Amino acid sequence: MRTPKRGRAVFLCVLLLYGALAAQDKFRKSPPLPDPLPELRLPPIESAVLSNGLTVAVVWKPSSTAISLQIVILAGESDSPPKLPGVASVTAHMIGRGAELLSAAEIENRIESMGGEIAAAVSLERTVFTFDVLEEDLDRALEILGAVFLRASFPEQAVESAKRTLYYDLVERQKDPEFVAKRQLLRHLFKGHPFRTATYNEDVLKNVSREDVVAFYDRFYRPNNTILVVAGNMNLQTASRKVSHSFNTWTPRKLEKTFLPPPDPNLEKQITLVDIPQAREATIFLGNIVPPATGPDHFPFMVLNQILGGTPGSRLFMNLRESKGYAYYAFSGADLYKNCGVFWIRARVTPETVLPSVQEILREISPAAVEKVSSFEIEQAKSFLIGNFPLKNEALPDLADRAARVRSFELGDDHWNRYAQNIILVNLERVLETARKVLEPPPVVVIAGDVRLIGDHIRDFDKVDVYDIQGNLKWTIKKGVDR
Amino acid sequence: MTRSGAEMSAIRAVLGLIWAALLCVPKVSGQVAPPKGLDFPMTQYRLKNGLNVVLSEDDSLPVVSVVVAYGAGPVREQPGKSGLAYLMENLMFQGSENVSPMQHINYVQRIGGEFNANTSFDKTYFYETVPSNQLALALWLESDRMASLAITGPNLERAKEALVAEHRQRRTSEPYMDSFFLFDSLLFPDFAYGHPLIGTEEDLKRIDEADVRAFASAYYVPNNAVLCVAGNFAVEKTRELIAKYFETIPRGADVLPPPPPRTEPPADRERVVRDLLAPSPAFHLGFRVSRLQTGEARSLRILDILLTQGKSSRLYKKLVKKERIALYLIGGVEERGGIPALRIFAISPNDVMADLCKKAVAAEIGKLRTTLVSEAELAKAKVLFKGDYLDRMARSLPRALFLCESVLSGESLEDIPEEFGRYLRVTPMMINGLANRLFKPENAYSLDLRAK
Repeated sequence: MRTPKRGRAVFLCVLLLYGALAAQDKFRKSPPLPDPLPELRLPPIESAVLSNGLTVAVVWKPSSTAISLQIVILAGESDSPPKLPGVASVTAHMIGRGAELLSAAEIENRIESMGGEIAAAVSLERTVFTFDVLEEDLDRALEILGAVFLRASFPEQAVESAKRTLYYDLVERQKDPEFVAKRQLLRHLFKGHPFRTATYNEDVLKNVSREDVVAFYDRFYRPNNTILVVAGNMNLQTASRKVSHSFNTWTPRKLEKTFLPPPDPNLEKQITLVDIPQAREATIFLGNIVPPATGPDHFPFMVLNQILGGTPGSRLFMNLRESKGYAYYAFSGADLYKNCGVFWIRARVTPETVLPSVQEILREISPAAVEKVSSFEIEQAKSFLIGNFPLKNEALPDLADRAARVRSFELGDDHWNRYAQNIILVNLERVLETARKVLEPPPVVVIAGDVRLIGDHIRDFDKVDVYDIQGNLKWTIKKGVDR
Repeated sequence: MTRSGAEMSAIRAVLGLIWAALLCVPKVSGQVAPPKGLDFPMTQYRLKNGLNVVLSEDDSLPVVSVVVAYGAGPVREQPGKSGLAYLMENLMFQGSENVSPMQHINYVQRIGGEFNANTSFDKTYFYETVPSNQLALALWLESDRMASLAITGPNLERAKEALVAEHRQRRTSEPYMDSFFLFDSLLFPDFAYGHPLIGTEEDLKRIDEADVRAFASAYYVPNNAVLCVAGNFAVEKTRELIAKYFETIPRGADVLPPPPPRTEPPADRERVVRDLLAPSPAFHLGFRVSRLQTGEARSLRILDILLTQGKSSRLYKKLVKKERIALYLIGGVEERGGIPALRIFAISPNDVMADLCKKAVAAEIGKLRTTLVSEAELAKAKVLFKGDYLDRMARSLPRALFLCESVLSGESLEDIPEEFGRYLRVTPMMINGLANRLFKPENAYSLDLRAK
């Protein structure tokens, strides 16, 4: 028989055990509170200008074992002569294909021995070359870069080969409906503006001659038009000395570049279909011109973009995919240039849901819909942007790329150092004010897909211009009118 | 409270002495300082429930990655139930006792974090990278789904529907996907090692709640998992958090290793397929040996780099750049159940070029058997290896994934710097010896795809 004392002990044990389990349950029931927001200390961007005008920008990361190099020529496809689109791209692809006293094969061998490649990316206003090497190979890397940039020889055969490579690259890229749709969108937005040069078709490359390439190189590939970014375990003094050793004979030249005013935002309703035979789905790309990253609305705009379509948790994805089931995906974003930007929305939907998808997107991005944004949504978007920023700076090439943008777009060190503070300052009023400015003008809408699958589903739009992949207007579909 | 100058001087003097004493501690015999990039701190221990924990700090940015890797994959599936491991990966986002379906994603995204999961033939990884002040949240989320995954009828149906839709979409967008699965089954004919990761629609429909519960309770248990935290965190506090969230999760039954694959080569080693969706002709080529000799795994990795990795590799330069008979080329080493295989896949513009391409690959492989690789070419391959290896160690998520994989594969973490050095000591003779053992006709497997 159990004594009352023993019974109490058992009761106490049960109570303690229950207490322990209850405590365990309790901490599992809800998410833990975060620690205070950690301070983000990105390595500073330090820069110096060499005697020939070359800007050397350094991001010093002592723990790094690699060096990420970026050479930014402040000229891009919009600087190609209007009648010679593609010159900027051909010129960029000629770098490394022959230099005085060095054949293309020798250059290739030297670059490969460092385990890398010089990659070139040509955008509207900039041409960016990247080369990632191990720390111990930096001197050799700068030496070969000096040779290929300062003493490029442009062999005729290599120019033809570069043109052929670019031609087939473009043909290949045109198999991607997103590429086709976005190019068509930019063609509309940049109509009558030098930026439109960048939206060329592959056939124009045949017009580019060696002389055109040499002229472009002579004009723009100058030290006083270049920023060389060094990211890695290297301080400014050492980097400047090493860069100067390989680049000091590069001769500057006065640049005759005039200020390019940004294109005006689109103000008319425009719906375009690009016919891509055999495409099984419909790709929607729509957008408009917005202010640049240097403008006062940039940070409110970033918060607005995050609310609308920055991630799968944003309005567009949640509505078009999760709620309506129309889309495989729906996101928004922006391409930012020095004096303007392009705000875009991209979505892939089933052919039969093209019409309601476009309608839903237009409704979501209307100022009226944005007016209903809550403070909670704004705080969530800010929380994402602040939290995600350090994640985007972990990889060395990303750090170099960000530094190159800060310097070439003259964003100022505040953009780099005060990112989180600038986002924190964004409030409901600023988001609404920015939304009214950037979302009021109607966007250009481009749908890319097989007209045989999509045609019947877009007849309720008032007017749709149908283009082929090359950008030629084929016909117009009008509401209530048979073709 | 402030200290006087004299007190501060005394403290500095004592600290100076301690520092000097620390510097004077002799190195353990034979111990070499790890090279830069591999000199990061690391702590490894095991919880009472068998969960293996690895902590690796890096305070360069306020970012932290959490990876939970389970020793579970398609190798644990039974015939007729293929796709179960991949289904489990999907179910892990469908909610647990305190986290509702898809809420895991919302929690991570709301704070600017990033997440994902992936399944290999014998392992499944779940991971988050978050701002370092949110480490506790990531640990809470991972522990909740390890402790109390919501395996319910609606969740299971939702996950199955998502996978069936994914199958169909991927077949459209990745026309060569099925050929990779077919080649897997050729190279690794045992069901456990060679069946498709994503399973079949029929098998997926057949999987029921009981199957999933059995799989989860057998393999998604702490004693069959590794937790790694890498990035900016305080070790002691993190150990406390890990104990709080994971230590009370009950241990599962002991997990036995899967049965080893058959080592004898199968009779069927070559196949031609014409009825796939391939828009252009292509081929898969593979070489497998039943067992590597000591150190040959490293030679195989280096050989793979110089043959197939990147635009400076022998095959890319010859087939894509120079002769232009391939539009696309990839390769790599894969090991399943201790059997390593070197795989090559190429797409050509037409059938004639595809045949030429195969012959050119055979010729390049032949050269590796007859001619020693030059020191310069070997050095280039090692630079690529070194760059890739150090790059992975420099970022929190790739480092955490690497450490988890190493632990699940039974490798010693202490040996990482030395093992890295062994790769850099591979010689031309070692490559040649391996090439002669690997590239024999009886080790070759091929699958030709002809456009319909």
